Amino acid sequence: MDEAKQDVLFNHCAATVRSLLPALLQLESEAALLQPVPLVEREWFELLRQKLIPQLGEQAFLVVAVVGGTNIGKSVIFNHLAGSCASATSPLASGTKHATCLVPEGFNAQHDLQSVFPDFELHEWSDASLALEESDTHRLFWRVAKELPPSLLVLDTPDIDSDARVNWVRADAVRRSADVLIAVLTQQKYNDAAVKEFFRKAGDEDKAVLVIFNQCLLPEDEPYWPIWLETFCRETHISPDAVYITPNDRRAAEDLRLPFFERRIPGTNSEDTPPAPDNTPRDLAADLAKLRFREIRMRTLLGSLHELTHPQRGIPAYLRELRLASEDLGRTATRLTTDSVVQVRNWPSPANSILVAEIRQWWHAHQEGWARAINSAYNTVGSGLLWPIRAARRALQGEPVPLMEGYRSREWLAVLGVVEELFDKLQWMADSGNEIIRPRIEAVLQGAARSQLLTLLKQKHDALDFEDELTLIVDQEMQNLQKTKPDLFGMYRQLNNVSAVVRPMTSVVLFSIGFGPAGEMVAPFLGHAAASAVVHVFADVAGGATAAIAGEAAVSSAAGSGAGMLQAWFHRLHSAFTARRASWLTNLVHGELLGALPEELNAAAGLTKSDAFIEVQKSVSKLEGLL
Amino acid sequence: MSLTPELQQLAILAEIDELVLRVRRWLNDVPAWGPARKARSLVSKILDRVHSLRIRLESPLVVATFGGTGTGKSTLVNALIGQEASESGRQRPTTTMPILLVHPDIETTALGLDLSQFHVKKIDAPMLRDLIIIDCPDPDTSEAAESGSNLARLRSILPHCDVLLYVSTQQKYRSARIAEELSDAASGCRLVFVQTHAEQDSDVREDWRQSLAPEYQVPDMFFVDSRRAFAEQAQRPSGDFGRLLELLTNQLGASRRVAIRRANLMDLLEEALTVCRTDYDSELPEIQKLQEVLDQQRTKLRDTLTNQLRDELLVNQNLWERRLLSAVTNIWGFSPFSAVLRLYNGLGAFIASFSFFRARSSAQMALIGAVQGARWLKSRVEEQEAESSLERLASFGITDQQLQESRMVVSGYVHSAGIDSEEFSDRRDMHQLRRRAATVESQFLGDARRGIDELIEQLAERNCSAMTRYRYEILLLLYLVFLIGRIGHNFFWSSFLAPIVGKADHAEPLLTIDFYIPALIFLMMWSAMLVLSYTWRLRRGLSAEIHKLAQTMVETRILEGLFPSVDHVCQGVIDDDHRLSELLERTSRFRRELAEGVGFLGGQRR
Repeated sequence: MDEAKQDVLFNHCAATVRSLLPALLQLESEAALLQPVPLVEREWFELLRQKLIPQLGEQAFLVVAVVGGTNIGKSVIFNHLAGSCASATSPLASGTKHATCLVPEGFNAQHDLQSVFPDFELHEWSDASLALEESDTHRLFWRVAKELPPSLLVLDTPDIDSDARVNWVRADAVRRSADVLIAVLTQQKYNDAAVKEFFRKAGDEDKAVLVIFNQCLLPEDEPYWPIWLETFCRETHISPDAVYITPNDRRAAEDLRLPFFERRIPGTNSEDTPPAPDNTPRDLAADLAKLRFREIRMRTLLGSLHELTHPQRGIPAYLRELRLASEDLGRTATRLTTDSVVQVRNWPSPANSILVAEIRQWWHAHQEGWARAINSAYNTVGSGLLWPIRAARRALQGEPVPLMEGYRSREWLAVLGVVEELFDKLQWMADSGNEIIRPRIEAVLQGAARSQLLTLLKQKHDALDFEDELTLIVDQEMQNLQKTKPDLFGMYRQLNNVSAVVRPMTSVVLFSIGFGPAGEMVAPFLGHAAASAVVHVFADVAGGATAAIAGEAAVSSAAGSGAGMLQAWFHRLHSAFTARRASWLTNLVHGELLGALPEELNAAAGLTKSDAFIEVQKSVSKLEGLL
Repeated sequence: MSLTPELQQLAILAEIDELVLRVRRWLNDVPAWGPARKARSLVSKILDRVHSLRIRLESPLVVATFGGTGTGKSTLVNALIGQEASESGRQRPTTTMPILLVHPDIETTALGLDLSQFHVKKIDAPMLRDLIIIDCPDPDTSEAAESGSNLARLRSILPHCDVLLYVSTQQKYRSARIAEELSDAASGCRLVFVQTHAEQDSDVREDWRQSLAPEYQVPDMFFVDSRRAFAEQAQRPSGDFGRLLELLTNQLGASRRVAIRRANLMDLLEEALTVCRTDYDSELPEIQKLQEVLDQQRTKLRDTLTNQLRDELLVNQNLWERRLLSAVTNIWGFSPFSAVLRLYNGLGAFIASFSFFRARSSAQMALIGAVQGARWLKSRVEEQEAESSLERLASFGITDQQLQESRMVVSGYVHSAGIDSEEFSDRRDMHQLRRRAATVESQFLGDARRGIDELIEQLAERNCSAMTRYRYEILLLLYLVFLIGRIGHNFFWSSFLAPIVGKADHAEPLLTIDFYIPALIFLMMWSAMLVLSYTWRLRRGLSAEIHKLAQTMVETRILEGLFPSVDHVCQGVIDDDHRLSELLERTSRFRRELAEGVGFLGGQRR
């Protein structure tokens, strides 16, 4: 690939990569509920931020960083490169806390150093000891070095393995920006886990690596360094561009005259006898200047791009992870939102007598002409006659509990049953379900939340006017009957009219056989069987108040086809009422108990369809296509 | 008189036994609470080690090297025993299989170590007479503790070591990985700190000590050149290496090994207990919250019961009257007025037994009292078998709804508190809850009955003073005397004696029924008036007394709530918490004592 083509390619990539960042941030904020590992803790994202965005499309310079474990002479080697004591050295470990950067002359005129190192706070170098100071911010001390080859930034970094972990973060940031790493190793540390981990990442990013084995015992270590190198390369997947060894000579190190001996990297073919070690010291800075800048630059940029689009470590893995989490959440969300969570069973029906009374009222309001006049006259007379009996009963048995109040308490019991079952089910879902949802559900299931919900439900339940509810249902169903079954309705109307005609007679008869005033007294004591045998449902229409009391039993006995139909219709009325009440509860529970959770879950579950997700997906496949 | 060293040893041993016994007792008494169980399983593992330690209390100390790769662990070991026993090298890592260096005279099987994990070398070196040395693999070349890695091997050895020889260098003394590993390894171990590579590195002991200081006690540090020491072993060792050698051979010898082991043991025990303590501390607030809720539920229940009781007591005035009257007549014994009262009371009871005012509720029964209620109770018990307890409860204002609400709320708290309670395993069963509520109710009523009895006695006593009594007696007697005088006068005098003695002209006729009927009516009226005035007197201030009674009922604590087993567990947890604190305190004190005895060695701070 010629250079012009490469530049075009990189410029394309640069545009795509820049558009990727806002899309990713947007995606992350949308995916918050899924609680993925934050982007900043992902290697590829940091690479995107610290390497690709600042440097892609910028092929003019090379970043060289001296890296390695604590107290193995990084700063010493850096000073050799700088040609002066630019970074302070100390016999104590993890001395260097901040990065120091050597900048070639004229660099600042053409480039913005801050954009190359976005995470660092830049300071102009004034004293070598500055890098030893502790501070919370990541600092980078820069200094113009005339002796450096142009287009070469050389950095000294904090360590990668000491107990000061902030040093690791800084070293990682420098590593990502770098193109060439000068890996300082010693016989004690070349196989340390922390060192291996650090350089494995560098290897994945395809950095150019120069290995320096520092503090060697020469010539005793001469046979060992190939073994060290072999282990290091095997563990980190790095193929170094050059290898140097330096003797353990503290004085020489302090005087900046440490000799660097270059060693040939042993080839794979073992028959190749190693040449005699060449013991002429090399000038490290000069060797750096001879590096093929452009080639290395291309290589590391490509390496970072490959990491970005790596199927297991890059954005595709991130998207996959989000998709899986979102699907998992989606399943739970479906389970939560379906009605199966709130299951209404054993809902009580209001007593038939209440329904009958309600229907009677409705009927009364809707009957016409003389039938209305007669019936209301008789009802007035009837209730007048029955007054003493009612009064006596009140005196004996106390004020009767309003029938709807009885229903209210039974319904509350049913509500409690439903809610308790719901709690059990949620508990089960919390125990067996998605980790993300668990804390949300557990929060709902805590004792305080439970009692709050119960108090609220109780309040709403107590505030309900059941009479209204019932009137509404009866009206609706009667209208319905009038519309759908005009024959039946007409028949009842006729009956009503007939009954109005015979009302004087039936009243006398019923009164004389005891079902006027006596019915009031007897019905409650007789129980259903006895009452229903005598008092037929039509007596309700005919007999006025009497049957209102006996109604319950009368309706439930299927006597005659007319009554059978009536019974079926009553069932319908019951179920209409129950359904209305149940949906009241379901809505309330959904609103109060689960709150916005189902909506949030659905949003998170639909993440893969969001714009940000698609945008990221598109950019990645575009990058993949370009590479 | 000071104890002989031997006796001192025995005293310490006895104290350890005592402590272990306490810990064991604590172990066996587990409340049904998650953290408590976790704590038990942790501490019981430590106790197992205590057991194995006791077995080998007298066997030589196990000294193990610990430190990063390339810090010269093997070289140091070789220098210490004066032989090329452990291979040292320039490749990393050199030592992968731990090497167990032991004197031929020492029985290796008695050490309690899995010897298949070691490369055992029997070496006749003077150093090894009193010590066993393990040269360990490094903790810092493995990125994860997979099985077969150096880290995994190291971790399996460390629990068996008594003293760690922590070896480091200028390059490695601040290594994060080693520091992490050490903080795990150092619990239950004494530490000796050695900086090696003196031939080429600078002395960083001060900085090292400072970095260790927050976590470890560092009494001494050695800066040695193992290679030279090995080469010059013919000469008498000098400098830091000499001091190190001296420490290992003399201080870790037979006399100190028991002390060191004990100190280690207490370290371990204290650490385990501290872990439990932290765990408890973080979980206890939930238990306290649960207790509060249970208390609230109890209070609510008691308030419901009290209110109901008060209302019923207030409306059942006639029952009060009967109780009070019978109490008064019991005190007075037989006298005319008390006979009248008895008659009135008996009549009232007779009428009441036919009326609707039979005791229908438990409160009324409490009011009727034990003696009067006995007969009623008998029939009631039979009835109760058939009658669901629900109705009885409902009559007392405790509904199924309330019970269910309580259960739901409490079960939420129970779950957050991590208590396993069987009461909440079978949710659908209201039966048991009702039974519990009935128990609470009967307990409450028992208290109520006692209160009522006392109140009645009090009221009765207040109203049966001699003054009051004789006032009524005399008032009644006045009429009776008048009546008897009148009848006697007529019977003896005017109709009989007067004519005979000639005081009258003729015998007056005997009094007829016309006289007796009004006399009787007036007697009845007079008695009724007296009785009424007396009962009015009795009733005076009754309402206030009932309110007072209700107030005292509110103040008395219901012992058992609806969820006695949860109550029980909570109480158990609180007790357990106290016991843990006590154990920990005792262990800490003892550990400090023991640690002072081995202060020449390093150890983890706490």
